[in-house]
Amino acid sequence: MSPELVLQQALNGISFGALLFILAAGLSLIFGMMDVVNLAHGAFYMLGAYVALQVVQATGQFWAAVVIAPVVLGLVGLVIEPLLLRRLRGRHLEQVLLTIGVALVITDLIGLVWGREARTLPFPPGFDRSIDIAGSAYPTYRLFVIAFAVVLAVVLYYLHRRTAIGALIRAGVDDAEMLAALGVDTDRLFAVTFAVGAALAGLAGVIAAPAFGVRPGMDVDALIFSLIVVVVGGLGTLGGASVGAALVGPAETFGKVLVPQFALALIFAIMAVILLARPSGLLGRIRISR
Amino acid sequence: MTRPTKASLSRGPRVRRWAPPFAGAAALVALFTFPDWSASMEGSRYASTILRDMLVFAVYALSLDVLIGRAGMPSLGHAAFFGGGAYAAAIAAERLGTDELAVTLGAAVVVAAALALVIGALTVRAAGIFFLMLTLAFAQMAFAIAFQWTDLTGGSNGFAGVRRPVLLGLDLSPPDSIYRLVVVVFGIVALVVWWIARSEYGRALVGVRENERRMRALGYDTTRLKLSAFVLAGSLAGVAGALSAWSFRFVSPNDVGLGTSVTGFVMVLIGGAGTLLGPILGAGLVLYIERVLSSAIPYSQTVLGIVFIVFVLAARQGLVGVAVQVWTRVRR
Amino acid sequence: MSADGAAVAVDGLRRDFGGVRALDGVSFAVAYGERRAIIGPNGAGKTTLFNVLTGELAPSGGRVLLGGQEVTGMRTWRLARRGLARMYQRNELFDPLSARQNVALALGAARGPYHLRPAGERAEVDEADALLERVGLADRARDPARALSHGERRQLELALALAQRPRVLLLDEPTAGMSPAETSAITALIGELERSLTILIVEHDMDVVFRIADRITVLHEGKVIADGGPEEVRGDRLVNEVYLGKVLER
Repeated sequence: MSPELVLQQALNGISFGALLFILAAGLSLIFGMMDVVNLAHGAFYMLGAYVALQVVQATGQFWAAVVIAPVVLGLVGLVIEPLLLRRLRGRHLEQVLLTIGVALVITDLIGLVWGREARTLPFPPGFDRSIDIAGSAYPTYRLFVIAFAVVLAVVLYYLHRRTAIGALIRAGVDDAEMLAALGVDTDRLFAVTFAVGAALAGLAGVIAAPAFGVRPGMDVDALIFSLIVVVVGGLGTLGGASVGAALVGPAETFGKVLVPQFALALIFAIMAVILLARPSGLLGRIRISR
Repeated sequence: MTRPTKASLSRGPRVRRWAPPFAGAAALVALFTFPDWSASMEGSRYASTILRDMLVFAVYALSLDVLIGRAGMPSLGHAAFFGGGAYAAAIAAERLGTDELAVTLGAAVVVAAALALVIGALTVRAAGIFFLMLTLAFAQMAFAIAFQWTDLTGGSNGFAGVRRPVLLGLDLSPPDSIYRLVVVVFGIVALVVWWIARSEYGRALVGVRENERRMRALGYDTTRLKLSAFVLAGSLAGVAGALSAWSFRFVSPNDVGLGTSVTGFVMVLIGGAGTLLGPILGAGLVLYIERVLSSAIPYSQTVLGIVFIVFVLAARQGLVGVAVQVWTRVRR
Repeated sequence: MSADGAAVAVDGLRRDFGGVRALDGVSFAVAYGERRAIIGPNGAGKTTLFNVLTGELAPSGGRVLLGGQEVTGMRTWRLARRGLARMYQRNELFDPLSARQNVALALGAARGPYHLRPAGERAEVDEADALLERVGLADRARDPARALSHGERRQLELALALAQRPRVLLLDEPTAGMSPAETSAITALIGELERSLTILIVEHDMDVVFRIADRITVLHEGKVIADGGPEEVRGDRLVNEVYLGKVLER
């Protein structure tokens, strides 16, 4: 492989990893706080992309979609958590099953409202060109994705580590029961966490849409990848999501180039190995719960 | 569960004990002869196709229930064995040069069992959410392989033109013959699951489900028990997969995919985990929604999702469980 | 008595949890047929000791011997097959199953689970009922375990342990949460157990201990601070300071 190709693939890997981070952060957060593997995460991602499609069609503004889609998803999360998940508090398997049902409903409704053909979202103006990197053209949008993810990571880190709400979330990930015993309104905390997780998924959907398209079935791919990232990097922490994304993104990209036949299987093999050797992932913190 | 006591040796309760198996046998006979006695009815061919598919997935759901309902091991990777069996049946017929039922069905069972043995050995020690995720990961590996090993499986295009089996010279290609094959295999699998449920082995699985710690303290090697249940469930799923391959004459990577694993779970839960009738009813209901309802209304999957959510929230024990509760209450 | 001639023995047993040393060089040997009580204040390491004995916890150091054979680190189910049974402090029952089915499961362990004959056949039912009779639960045979009272659940818990036909029986606070009448009944039951059975009992109720025990081992902060007959231990100054004094205050 020529050095230019390596550089290109490396950038691809990093930008894919950046996207994976945005996608997986929400899932990790929800699991860390609530011990729920949100299997509707892919559906949230998908909904974000379709909402973005609608917004761009209506206003022609990509940046509006970047704001509106996560807000919509946040509201969806704020409705679902109290309405459905809360009734199953403490019953983790049932909660996971519930998210399956939610995913079924959301993906079907999306198909009803927006149809089942593949759609595309145009690149936002300003990022629809390629620039010259090491002798070949590289789309600026992918560089934007990397930059966006870095900024988002910094913002999330700041919120997570330096604000009161972040402290509450960290404490909740550690021991939600204790928080409740201390008088914190864990119901509200869980609802907010779930909403934030959903919003992040929706944001990932918007950001991914110009590069990856908008089509039925994108929810399953997104869900699978976010599960892999979260498992590899660490269940329950933002740091874990970033480590996982940083590993899986390039692995997937280089894998596709080097061993196209079994790239996908290889990724899952890595996931399985890590689950077996270190169930909590490379950086994760888990409580042994049923 | 009632156990035989001196009282059950008298006339009345004995009738009650034998009624269910008798009803089951009668139902099987009715199903088997369905193409004959419904021939004059309109839509008979369509109906027997739907019935056939319901029974194929009833076998699949019964196999998954061995894991979820009996052994208490909820898995999201069961499609690996269903799809694995389907591909094995299709590929065996093509590569081994024979359509003999024993060979192709045998291939499906062997491949599914081998997969289950390997995956089970690695996953069975995990519990709860980790087991769920591990089974999902391994099933996705199988999906990836099915998707990308185009030479063997046809890749993303799937495996078309699956050859239907031949039973000792009898060609089972006609629709009615395949239908009857499905009925017979379903009957056998249902019998197997029923027998296991009432056997000492089945009771040991319940023990593992209810209190694994205690089972170990009593001297049971629960890891081996769980692995045996996993392989048994996987093998039965492989049988369902073979039936599916023959019914649709087509195998696709989706048969190994997350959607199929999820569908199985939905069927078992809605019908009633841990019962014989539950998975069968669940398969019937889900297939009804997916096939019949979907041609009438465009939002059938939404209906399925909502039904599923309702059951998870309010009726975790499924249709059969609810029916039993209502019946007990009515009798008081 | 050397460890080799004992029914069950531990030698220099250690167990650490992070920075905490729950067991710190515990050694004792229990003779065949003996009734040995293990007492000590809360946090002394009694439950940890039992968990190591049954293989549910691996020791950080030291040895465990069963019938003269070294079994350190052996898995729980293997130890059970070698004749070790435990009555748990917090009941570990099969809640949806009937008392009879609970016992039948315990009885079936010796044979192994890989049998396709229908569960609940005549011979098994009779054997299970006999055991239930022995612990005083004969009239509750058909009732699901979850429907039994706390005292009845303890009785069933004991029945499960006995169904294993153990040679060494570990009783983990058998009278926990019981009324005086129930305590009396179960103590009488334990007293009637055959001498071919070796019994280790962890108890807080001193009346029960002094009624049943042949010898008493006293644990404190993971160490054995006394080991002898009831009168010996009762008179031991250190024991009185550390433990019995507190008990007398109650």
